[in-house]
Amino acid sequence: MITYSRRSLRLYLANRQDVLAVPLYTLGALVLLSVLVSIVIGIATGFPLSVSVQDGFRASSGTIWALPGFLATVGIMAATRNFAMALAFGSTRRHFWLGTMAGFVLTAAVTGVGAVVALGLERLTGHWFVGAYALDVAALGNGNVAQTFGVVFVVALVAMTAGAMFGTVYRAFGAKTTALLGVACVVLLFVAIAVIVGKWGSLGPLVDGWGAWAGVAVGAVLIVVTAAGSYAACQRASV
Amino acid sequence: MTTPTAALPAGAALPGITLRGLTKNYGATEVLTDVTATLTPGRIYGLLGANGTGKTTLLACIAGHTFRTGGEILIDGQDPREHAPTLARLCFVHEDQAYNDAFSVADILAVMPAFHPDWDPDTATRLVRRFRIPRRTRSRKLSRGQRSALAITLALASGAAYTFLDEPYLGLDATARGIFYDELLAAYAASHEQAASGASAPRTFVMSTHLIDEAAELIEEVLVLEGGRIVLQADVDDARRTAFLARGFEADVLALAVGREVLSTRRLGGILTATIRGDLSVDDRRCATEARVSIEPTTLQELVAAIGQHGESDQPAPHYATESSPVQ
Repeated sequence: MITYSRRSLRLYLANRQDVLAVPLYTLGALVLLSVLVSIVIGIATGFPLSVSVQDGFRASSGTIWALPGFLATVGIMAATRNFAMALAFGSTRRHFWLGTMAGFVLTAAVTGVGAVVALGLERLTGHWFVGAYALDVAALGNGNVAQTFGVVFVVALVAMTAGAMFGTVYRAFGAKTTALLGVACVVLLFVAIAVIVGKWGSLGPLVDGWGAWAGVAVGAVLIVVTAAGSYAACQRASV
Repeated sequence: MTTPTAALPAGAALPGITLRGLTKNYGATEVLTDVTATLTPGRIYGLLGANGTGKTTLLACIAGHTFRTGGEILIDGQDPREHAPTLARLCFVHEDQAYNDAFSVADILAVMPAFHPDWDPDTATRLVRRFRIPRRTRSRKLSRGQRSALAITLALASGAAYTFLDEPYLGLDATARGIFYDELLAAYAASHEQAASGASAPRTFVMSTHLIDEAAELIEEVLVLEGGRIVLQADVDDARRTAFLARGFEADVLALAVGREVLSTRRLGGILTATIRGDLSVDDRRCATEARVSIEPTTLQELVAAIGQHGESDQPAPHYATESSPVQ
């Protein structure tokens, strides 16, 4: 099982620049952007930045939203092009899926470690010398290393498994079904938001208590759902 | 070379590829119909037929790239569906193979040994050099000919026990096609040498092709697909002998064709050229000579074209470049 799956993992890692380095570049670009914005604000308001400005940075969840776009593309490319290559070279669908998922986990882990390293640098340098907050933010656990890793890992993995699910559904069932799946996901998302808003009175304290782990828990559920969806579709996908 | 599947006892002769009643539908369209054939190992097969007759679909079904609608496929006695040890012995790079856009040729070549333990790096290096494939170029930037050359390189160097080549020469010039033919024969010969030493079973190559006469010298056995069915499976020489060309005045040719299946006809003025299935007795040949009907063997290309034309054609005669019209 491992031998055959490892082949697709090797295929996934054939271009390490894209699957390992680019997510880190994205994180780096986010940090740079935060520093530049802080400098611009500092020039206008003076250094050090005021507490209210710093609180505004800390409430930002830009880091979380910077990653999924590219990583979803990684997932889609793996589910479509790598799939065609793996089958051409003699893989089963099952082993392709397992090897690719292992690759996704590796990418997410590397990205999570990168985020932790950047967090360390951010704190070590007094927030990049200018009071810029990129990773020491509420959405990533306010400097908690485990939560930072957990959130970035989960967000990255959700993006890739969701991309893979859509890519595989497209391969298996075509554009119409993929569009319907997209619509269904959006509807489900809004239903979930409506339920959460409606029950915020009871959910709010729970989320506050869990902090960033609440996001990790939700992400873990999404990973299971999207990974299962991509596996099921992969079994019906053809070249 | 790849080791035989574990499903068979050691030393047992490999049964090869067995197809029984294979069908494939795309919606209401039946692409393959009741395909039944056996491909014994260690041969070069030509999968021939007109466009749209199901050649690529048949290869895709065998390799598990698409799902059959019905029937049975066995590779060395094993249903290949999701059977890793069996599929690992296959290599089928499609004519329009999709590669990851971010991968360079070097990336693709680097990953092949992981999939094919019998990958031959020397063959790969030699083919890349002979075809002048740019190693650093990303797959999406390759020209049609370079894509074909890459597919040939991957297939031949893979060492896969069952290697499928889907229109492998598209976009290749005559020189590059010559390289391909040389290398295919070299890979074939090498696998037989290894098999003779008992190291492994010889490789089997299945090649779909339109350049039939050009590839005829390579192919040992042909499978001709027409309308999703295998209408002929035979050794190349036997296949050629299944039909003949008769050329002469229309009435004389048609008289000769009585009781035989006329695969195709072409007319130039009063002269008719017919491809007729069957054999001729000595008496038939004497009658033909007396009637001034010339009898010639068909080439493989002519035979396949005739089968595809269902007895009538608007195409120029094989030996005349001229107008034509149906006989009946």
